[in-house]
Amino acid sequence: MGRGGSTSSSSSLESSNYPALTSRSSSLYQQNRDLSTDLRLGLSISTSQQGNPSIPSESDWPPIKPILKKALAAEENECDSATFFVKVYMEGIPIGRKLDLLAHDGYHDLIRTLNHMFNTSILWAEMDGDEHSEQNHVLTYEDKEGDWLIVGDVPWEMFLSSVRRLKITRADI
Amino acid sequence: MLRMARSLPEEVLEHVFSFIHSDKDRNAISMVCKSWYEIERWCRRRIFVGNCYAVNPSMVIRRFPEVRSVELKGKPHFADFNLVPDGWGGYVYPWIAAMANAYPWLEEISLKRMVVTDETLELIAKSFKNFKVLVLSSCEGFSTDGLAAIAANCRNLRQLDLRESEVDDPSGHWLSHFPDSFTSLVSLNISCLGSEVNFSALEHLVGRCPNLRTLRLNRAVPLDRLANILRRAPQLVELGAGTYSAELRPDVFSSIAGAFSGCKELKSLSGFWDVVPGYLPAIYPICSSLTSLNLSYATIQSPDLVKLVSQCQSLQRLWVLDYIEDIGLEALAAFCKDLQELRVFPSEPFALEPNVSLTEQGLVSVSEGCLKLHSVLYFCRQMTNDALVTIARNCPKMTRFRLCIIEPRTPDYITLQPLDDGFGAIVEHCKDLRRLSLSGLLTDRVFEYIGTHAKKLEMLSVAFAGDSDLGLHHVLYGCENLRKLEIRDCPFGDKALLANAAKLETMRSLWMSSCSVSFGACKLLGQKMPRLNIEVIDERGPPDSRPESCPVEKLYIYRTLAGPRFDMPGFVWTMDEDSALRFS
Repeated sequence: MGRGGSTSSSSSLESSNYPALTSRSSSLYQQNRDLSTDLRLGLSISTSQQGNPSIPSESDWPPIKPILKKALAAEENECDSATFFVKVYMEGIPIGRKLDLLAHDGYHDLIRTLNHMFNTSILWAEMDGDEHSEQNHVLTYEDKEGDWLIVGDVPWEMFLSSVRRLKITRADI
Repeated sequence: MLRMARSLPEEVLEHVFSFIHSDKDRNAISMVCKSWYEIERWCRRRIFVGNCYAVNPSMVIRRFPEVRSVELKGKPHFADFNLVPDGWGGYVYPWIAAMANAYPWLEEISLKRMVVTDETLELIAKSFKNFKVLVLSSCEGFSTDGLAAIAANCRNLRQLDLRESEVDDPSGHWLSHFPDSFTSLVSLNISCLGSEVNFSALEHLVGRCPNLRTLRLNRAVPLDRLANILRRAPQLVELGAGTYSAELRPDVFSSIAGAFSGCKELKSLSGFWDVVPGYLPAIYPICSSLTSLNLSYATIQSPDLVKLVSQCQSLQRLWVLDYIEDIGLEALAAFCKDLQELRVFPSEPFALEPNVSLTEQGLVSVSEGCLKLHSVLYFCRQMTNDALVTIARNCPKMTRFRLCIIEPRTPDYITLQPLDDGFGAIVEHCKDLRRLSLSGLLTDRVFEYIGTHAKKLEMLSVAFAGDSDLGLHHVLYGCENLRKLEIRDCPFGDKALLANAAKLETMRSLWMSSCSVSFGACKLLGQKMPRLNIEVIDERGPPDSRPESCPVEKLYIYRTLAGPRFDMPGFVWTMDEDSALRFS
């Protein structure tokens, strides 16, 4: 295409020798000069107004298509809407109930549901000392190894990964 | 010479021209002389309009009266990432209305990033008696009602492809609008639809179309339905599975596995939402003949991915989430020697810490093992200049290289230097590079490299890079084949743009957002360059309510023969001679 001898490294905006637009018509060359003249004649061109580097918003960065963003978000939500039902028996009552552990966000939530379900007050590992005397029942669970343990000693997530079923026994230990 | 040209009858020339298909070649033919221009325009059957506002429908129809296939593109590429506000434009209805009158024998319409309405689809359905192909790529504005009209009326429809479009789909019953006598379907892509389609209608449709080669289902198609569908279409070449998850049961497994084994022609797989790894072995029998695998939605962890790709020795294209990790990419490099295209997407794009072990090393491994690799899109969180130099040296035939380091302005994590030299090596070694996307910490120097070496570059995407106008100047001045330039959040202002205004007429378009181009410069460009549309997009209100030196929010410049458009929303202003006067 022939741009004369100038390489990019020697081209400069300030140079009055315009990059040789030899393949372009002279009128366009003129246009370039006009623009440059206008430029120098006082269009108040501001210096960069962005003092601080801009931080992108999540809606447009990183550049992935909304359809993929939605699919990835939905994958996470799928996990949220999964269920984990376990059997719950109360001592002395042959018919048990079933409860979705994943519908609860922790032990407090679980105990509240069980208290309501079985119309009682349940004792578990984390309770405050002065509530002890009023509890009628104790919540225990069977883990993957078949052992029965009191509910509440391990973190909730660990409990979820090992629990197989629940049992509410009388508190007169 | 003149006598010879005149002595060739039109029919002969037309016959010769019928072997020429590429637009570039056809355009060249039409420039030889007036009679060739005339003959050529009457026998051009396909037109491609890369920017729907570069020309208006009546101009196209006037020049090419016998068109059978039209491809149009609307919004600029950055619209894919929410940078173009809703309502900007790209309405296709005026085109369809004009073509309904002028091209009754139109067979194919392909649209990308355009606004399509149900009214448009209904018009297509009743205007073109021999309509065969409808491709709506990243389009929006229509619902399943419009699709029902297409299904009901297009008796010879071969292809209905809705790839990545946003469809308002309240009901899946539109599929039932294909009459029982309809059997011509070859390709159906409904993967973007949110709601269920009527499964028995789908199965019946698949069963009665013996030429069906491509079927991309949506997420709402459960795994147990897939087996039925596959059994009715064992001739399928391309399949998009729906949800690939169900309770692990041996009877369901053997049903799926049997259905897949029956599809001896399958070359391409996609879909696979919510994968239950236990069902992956069902596709192992067909892996060795797969050439294309799109797992962008599949949350499969790297051990299962390794098992999968190591069986796909014929793989040419892989799209996958970063769960594949460096270790999976090493397996890819070892087993998939025919790989040409790799795309790795981020599974947790907004997480501050990496959730997977995917680094620059994965891409280096693939560049070492896959000698045919020429197209890359790679999202990662760290990079080095050395890695980029290695990749450049390993893949001199690279044509598309898009790297996205998720955190803007990230330097080489070992040397803490900008990545100028790395990308410089890419443009220096890869002489056929046509498309490049930059990321990481970059100074004006990288643009100097690009302007000096990237002579075949057609599309460049830049974000959070550069120091001054000199960067932009290097690119506009040096990249001879540049057609599309899109820039966001770079300190580029007026000087480079004004000094290279003529260059803009040789390109399809320039997008600049969150840069430093002043309103005054936009006005000046609008005044001086009548064959460009200078669109200022600013949701803060009219640009003349702020000082002239104030930078505009977004700027979209494109060459056009059609003059300023008239369908702009309130936040878009075209700078032309009149508006320059209006605004001053």
